[in-house]
Amino acid sequence: MRKLLLLLISSFWLFATDLTLEIVKEVNALPSVVIEDATVDVETLINRKLFNLLVGDLEVSAHFQVDHTRNLANFSDPVNYMKYKGKDFLIRYRLFYDDFNKLNLEGAIYNLKSGTKILVKRYRISDNDRFAFLAHHLIFDFNQVLGFNDVSFLKSFVIFSKYTAPKQADIVISDYTLTYQKTVVHGGLNLFPKWADKEHKRFYYTQIKDKPVLYLVDIYKGTRRKIIESEGMLVCSDVSDNGTKLLLTMAPNMQPDIYIFDLITGELQRVTFYPGIDVNGHFVENERKIIFVSDRLGYPTIFAKRIGSRAVQRVVYHGRNNSACSTFGDYVVYSSRETNNAFGPNTFNLYLVSTTSDYIRRLTANGVNIFPRFASDGETILYIKEYGRQSGLGLIRLKYNKSYLYPLSVGKIQSIDW
Amino acid sequence: MKRVLLCSLCLGVLVLSGCAKKSVEVETPSTPTTTQEAATPVNEGEGIQTIGQTQEQMSEEAKLQKMKMIEAEAKKIYFDFDKYNIRPDQVPNVDYDAKLFNLPDAKEFKIKVEGNCDEWGSDEYNYALGLKRAKSVKEALTIRGVDAGRMSIISYGESNPVCTEHTKECWAKNRRVEFELIP
Repeated sequence: MRKLLLLLISSFWLFATDLTLEIVKEVNALPSVVIEDATVDVETLINRKLFNLLVGDLEVSAHFQVDHTRNLANFSDPVNYMKYKGKDFLIRYRLFYDDFNKLNLEGAIYNLKSGTKILVKRYRISDNDRFAFLAHHLIFDFNQVLGFNDVSFLKSFVIFSKYTAPKQADIVISDYTLTYQKTVVHGGLNLFPKWADKEHKRFYYTQIKDKPVLYLVDIYKGTRRKIIESEGMLVCSDVSDNGTKLLLTMAPNMQPDIYIFDLITGELQRVTFYPGIDVNGHFVENERKIIFVSDRLGYPTIFAKRIGSRAVQRVVYHGRNNSACSTFGDYVVYSSRETNNAFGPNTFNLYLVSTTSDYIRRLTANGVNIFPRFASDGETILYIKEYGRQSGLGLIRLKYNKSYLYPLSVGKIQSIDW
Repeated sequence: MKRVLLCSLCLGVLVLSGCAKKSVEVETPSTPTTTQEAATPVNEGEGIQTIGQTQEQMSEEAKLQKMKMIEAEAKKIYFDFDKYNIRPDQVPNVDYDAKLFNLPDAKEFKIKVEGNCDEWGSDEYNYALGLKRAKSVKEALTIRGVDAGRMSIISYGESNPVCTEHTKECWAKNRRVEFELIP
């Protein structure tokens, strides 16, 4: 009997070991990358930051196994293949200032297995504060050359509103790691920034003075245009694919409801008619339907509605407070409060659901995970994670089942868009 | 011609001699009279204005002070977590505010009803929650006789905390409606 039991335990152990082996195998399947720094005459701080950004970008792309060692080399030296035996790719880079005192990044990427140079490119930036984008561009191009999935989110601007004092909030543009930050709207209460186009050249935001007013800002022309105003509250929650229709939360009669505003005709169409709270409208299913947050059940949760119809359909059947969502195609990501403690720490997890099937997937396991936003590729989700008194900017790569966290030191974020 | 001149001279001598006799009889005044000079105008300082408040300004300031006093006097209305209905324990505060805003001194002012929230809740939902709280209070004040036309509502979401600690007492203080008077 004892022998039988021992055999049984051994066989369980064997299966467990197999499972571990399988994971290790999967990790090893990713191509390995090493980085060589050939910078000579640029401040150490910028160079160190750039090296870390390159490592971070490679990690977040989820296509590589990254060696975090900062190897030194001369840019024109031949590659030391012996040193990097077993590795697949080498990124050699150097930072330098050109004759116009502009920062340049020269990158050369080698395939160590075939001994070929697969990319040689020089990047130049006019404003040295934006050096983070040098790293983002190099890693984006590296992924492109190898034919991997689109990682253009690396180069995307993030826009967010942060509180600076009571009734004061600024709007800031940054790269996805928040290394580069530029305040674009300052003074007063400036909230809910939302990109107006895929190119991230213009954005909408709400300014609250006596009344909330929605403005459209062109960041390259430096212009601002008033779009609409409303009593009580006004938020641009989503923009249609062609940029001509806005989903707004407005309260012209003191009642927060969702409206569609046609920018061409100026027509305002009310979509929801519930006397409670309806907010956070997002287009889904080719803009025939909207997903929104409502307190119809006595607590906020996610609903769907076909535009023009009266019927409302519940989308999420769990959680006691599902008060934020974002959509891409037919998918909805939302933040759900898993615990019901009104006066203490709560857990907010992110979930991914489909509006056309029963698909549901939990994306986070602990902490307070809020403000989920899809990137334009639909495969990456940006969110804010709060743990204790600190907060971080999180990234989830859906296809690769990986998540990353960057420490946030920008104060309290009001709203974010990507 | 010579005869005319001679006659005139004699007449003059006669007149002068007569006048000299008279002047002896005239009393000399006790204080000699002096010629009065024209007053020199003093222009320095002409046009200097007194720095002070006009009646209009003084009444504006008094109005502002009165407004601030009423604002400070008004009671804040507190709410439960995630709720926008007025709690039974807050009804006396609403009654008090209604009476205060209906006083003759307060009636000249408009009232901005401001809804606020704690730090929990999402970006948009929190602003809507603040708005619903402000709406509840406006409706309650209207029922108690405060003219609805005097009141406007706005939500500041979680942007206007009175307490920034991460404690339940602090969150409870932030879930409130307060008032700003407008001239």
